[in-house]
Amino acid sequence: MASQIYQAVVDGILVGGVYALMAVGLTLIFGVLDIINIAQGVLVILGAYLSYSLSTRAHIDLFTGLLITIPVMFIIGVVIHWAFIRRLRGSERTSMTLLVTYAAALIIEGVLYMLYGADNVQLKASYTTSSVHLLGFYLPWIYVYGFILAVVLVLAVYLLLYRSRFGRTIRATMQDETAARLVGIDVNRVSALTFGIGVAVTAVGGMMYGATNAFNANSGYDLISRLLAIIILGGLGSIGGALAASVFMITLESVVTIWEPTWAIAVFYAALVLVLVIRPQGFFGRKEVRAQ
Amino acid sequence: MTLSRDKLPRAGGLIVLLALAIAFPWLFSNPAVTNYGVFAMIFVTVASAWNLFSGYSGYISLGHAVFYGSGAYVMGVAAKAWHLEGTAVFELLPLCALAGAVIAVPFGLVALRVRRHTFIVVTIAVFFIFQLMAFNFSFTGGSSGLSSPFLSWTQASFNLSFYDIALACAVGTIVISWLIRRSTFGLRLRAIRDDEDRARGLGVKTMRVKLSAFVISGALTSLIGAVWFYYETQVQPQTGFDPLFDLTVVLMAFLGGYGSVAGPVLGALLIEPGTLWLNSQPQLSGIAEIVLGAVFLAVVLFVPRGIIPAGGEWITKLRTRGKPAVVPAVAMTKESVPAGTPGGEK
Amino acid sequence: MRPSLPWFSKTALAAAVTVLTAGSLAACGTSASGGAGGSSKGPISIGASLSLTGDFSADGQAFDKGYKLWAKDVNASGGIGGRQVKLTVLNDASNPNQAVTNYQTLMNSDHVDLTFGPFSSLITTPAASVAARGGYALIEGAGGAPTVFNSPPNQADHNIFDVSLPIADEMMPFVDYIKSLPPAKRPKTAAYPMAQDPFADPPVQAAQKALQALGVKTVYSKVFPEEVADYKAPADQVASQKPDLVVLGSTDVPTVGAFMQAFEQQHYTPKMFIPAAGPDQGQAFTSAVGAANANGVMVPNGWFPGYANPQSQQMVKQYVKTYGGNASGVNADVAEAYAVGQVAAQAVKATGGTDNAKIIKYLHSGASISSVQGPVKFDSLGENGAAAAFIFQWQNKGNYTQVLPAGASGSKSILATKPSWSS
Repeated sequence: MASQIYQAVVDGILVGGVYALMAVGLTLIFGVLDIINIAQGVLVILGAYLSYSLSTRAHIDLFTGLLITIPVMFIIGVVIHWAFIRRLRGSERTSMTLLVTYAAALIIEGVLYMLYGADNVQLKASYTTSSVHLLGFYLPWIYVYGFILAVVLVLAVYLLLYRSRFGRTIRATMQDETAARLVGIDVNRVSALTFGIGVAVTAVGGMMYGATNAFNANSGYDLISRLLAIIILGGLGSIGGALAASVFMITLESVVTIWEPTWAIAVFYAALVLVLVIRPQGFFGRKEVRAQ
Repeated sequence: MTLSRDKLPRAGGLIVLLALAIAFPWLFSNPAVTNYGVFAMIFVTVASAWNLFSGYSGYISLGHAVFYGSGAYVMGVAAKAWHLEGTAVFELLPLCALAGAVIAVPFGLVALRVRRHTFIVVTIAVFFIFQLMAFNFSFTGGSSGLSSPFLSWTQASFNLSFYDIALACAVGTIVISWLIRRSTFGLRLRAIRDDEDRARGLGVKTMRVKLSAFVISGALTSLIGAVWFYYETQVQPQTGFDPLFDLTVVLMAFLGGYGSVAGPVLGALLIEPGTLWLNSQPQLSGIAEIVLGAVFLAVVLFVPRGIIPAGGEWITKLRTRGKPAVVPAVAMTKESVPAGTPGGEK
Repeated sequence: MRPSLPWFSKTALAAAVTVLTAGSLAACGTSASGGAGGSSKGPISIGASLSLTGDFSADGQAFDKGYKLWAKDVNASGGIGGRQVKLTVLNDASNPNQAVTNYQTLMNSDHVDLTFGPFSSLITTPAASVAARGGYALIEGAGGAPTVFNSPPNQADHNIFDVSLPIADEMMPFVDYIKSLPPAKRPKTAAYPMAQDPFADPPVQAAQKALQALGVKTVYSKVFPEEVADYKAPADQVASQKPDLVVLGSTDVPTVGAFMQAFEQQHYTPKMFIPAAGPDQGQAFTSAVGAANANGVMVPNGWFPGYANPQSQQMVKQYVKTYGGNASGVNADVAEAYAVGQVAAQAVKATGGTDNAKIIKYLHSGASISSVQGPVKFDSLGENGAAAAFIFQWQNKGNYTQVLPAGASGSKSILATKPSWSS
């Protein structure tokens, strides 16, 4: 029994890394722009398909391919922001963005169906099925790389936010948009770049998801509710919180799976509700500064 | 605006509308058309029920499928347990509504403690817990779901009867929504939406007010969920508790005009038949989703406050020929006016 | 309305316009194509709703190909009794509300003569109720869960006909094979992970019961949720038990792929691996898991591209000609859909027309019909009692081979132990 629990914890940490990669972009966008990006799940799949095209057509390694998919996704993000998000104003902005991003998700999904068909595909490389034997566990390379990448990415985004000039403008916008505007910050530009960065980071999450699961255009819907739960638990806008919450939630889920796989997700959501009732701002969140 | 002569056209408009709704299946009696009517009425009810909580209070619920699915399952389980068949099953409808109300109390007590995004995510989480319960318990039929009892109506009378039942639910919900809106209760709800802390400061018992609206909304949603189940003849965890259900309902409310009585009705009348029609066009298959997404985008971007408020403003502007209107609030502030309170209504 | 237009009467106006426009549009659509129903001359119009998008889109699109291929072949050979076939497929986006709408549209607005089934048990039950109220037979190939046949509407109307193999017994040739082995060679331990699905669980549970009776020890038997993110944990737990045999209650390729990937990462190769569905998807399976890894994987089904049946071979040839690819890449969904068409064609010929009441009676009469999936003969609830059950196995990097029942026509020798991954 003990060995099963250890195995479940190892699984939870490794899979949690993949979820963190998918959640970081969402929480960043959420924190800065104050919107729920329903399209995040579909953007993950878009990132996965981009990597798929590069690896099957041009035979570029999955990780090398990120050098191309990240900038491409950044541009897609900036375009989505410029075309749709930027225009939304006013008291119902939150709900509006919910709908706009849902619409964007529908369109992206439709386009992916047209381009790739409905058959499931998976990203393949030598390291997606091989593993390293460590302390009695087989650790699949793809998850190990993914976890390292998640930590690196979280650090990078953290440094960007807390050690750079641009980061200061982002954080200022996060805390008080009006005040940021008053001190001369171009809030629109900051928002566009943040949305772009959030979507760019998702390219990595998409590649990792595609390398660990078979997917088609419709797979994104299963993801969004979990990702939302994770970023709320981690605290909105908290990058480190997203990683911690991913690992915590997925570990909890995989431990429960030992006894009752069918109740595992229920425990996941019940834990979320419980935590929020006790601590509405999540693990690492600041108090809601924009409470209406 | 309280002059009695103004009430006349309003009442007249209502009667025309109701007469039209009742006459609809007689004007277009083909079951292929009345089917659209049934789904439209189901979603008019859902959107109005959602709106009388979320639209008035500002708490966006993405968990109303909890009530919809529970209503369906309560009817299925009860009919099976008590061996009900045929029209006798409809006697369970009050029970289904009651079940929705009962579920809404603990759900609301937990979820309504948090606000805005966090509230949205808590409702999603509760929604998934309910879907999982439907999957995992044996009395819900697990992943196979439940089939409805047999109803031996012919095709035409089947659609017609369900249309009438769904229409009755829709009219009832609209009336309740309208009564709430013009009551002090509705005023308190909107005070919460505008500024909850100030509302509390002014002595509004916010939790009690929010919870009451949530319970009423949940009961009505459960009621129509049960009707849907009997029409559809089966419910399964992923159809009763469908994650896209709530997004569709929010979209309906926003398209028509969020927070107004009539907005969600119009939104549902446009979106539900529109989506069904769009998907069933063979020449559009493959791009239906893209078209749908594009329409949603266009609506949110160009008519951001919904058709009814936008239309109201447009007519007001037309009528006053650009001179300051009777109610200058619209012209003065762009954003502080809650959607759904255009020119005329007070 | 003169002095002011209060908000509700504006709404009344808007709603009235909406309703009238929608109604007229729908009515126009209705009358434009009206009058086709019931005529005994001209083309036979057939309608179906399929999940071309959404959850079931992978299977739905394969089914679409099957229906269209059948219609093309039938028309090329002169139609049914001299009448050409006109096929209308609507997309239900994997949503039962849409399926209900689509079948009502097909029956009452397009006035189709016959209805073919949708994909999945989830959509089939409501679709069958709609068809029953319209007096139509619903001939289908992919709504095999027991609940589809046991639903009160079907018990009252008996209008569902599933041309495919009833799923509950599909693992039985495999069980018989284990039974035929000397006890020393039988697997000692077995794991039964099952996706939570009405289609996946019954055959696995039946197999578990039978194998336990043969002395195969169950080391793992759990149902897991059918969501992609959850596969690694249960798969790793199965791997940690190192059972000789894994019977996986799967419904699709991603589930099987995730288990295989996790097994490989854990350096665990089951001696026998038999998922309930997924490996039967031809190229859709091998392209997702890799042809080399597929070696030795078994799957129960009623049909495979190499099936030694002249009709089936003809269909596979036509498929490759129309859609490209190679023979073993043909999805079993295609054959299921194609067989639906063949059964319908036979019923139309036998009853001399498209009277659905006669067709329902004929199909229940116990008549034996031949299809690309072999013989079809319906019982009182519409299940195909005559369907052949086979076990197939992927061999030699991409050859999909019939291996069980041993000795049956077309069965080749079984790869008794699954080779290790990627070898």
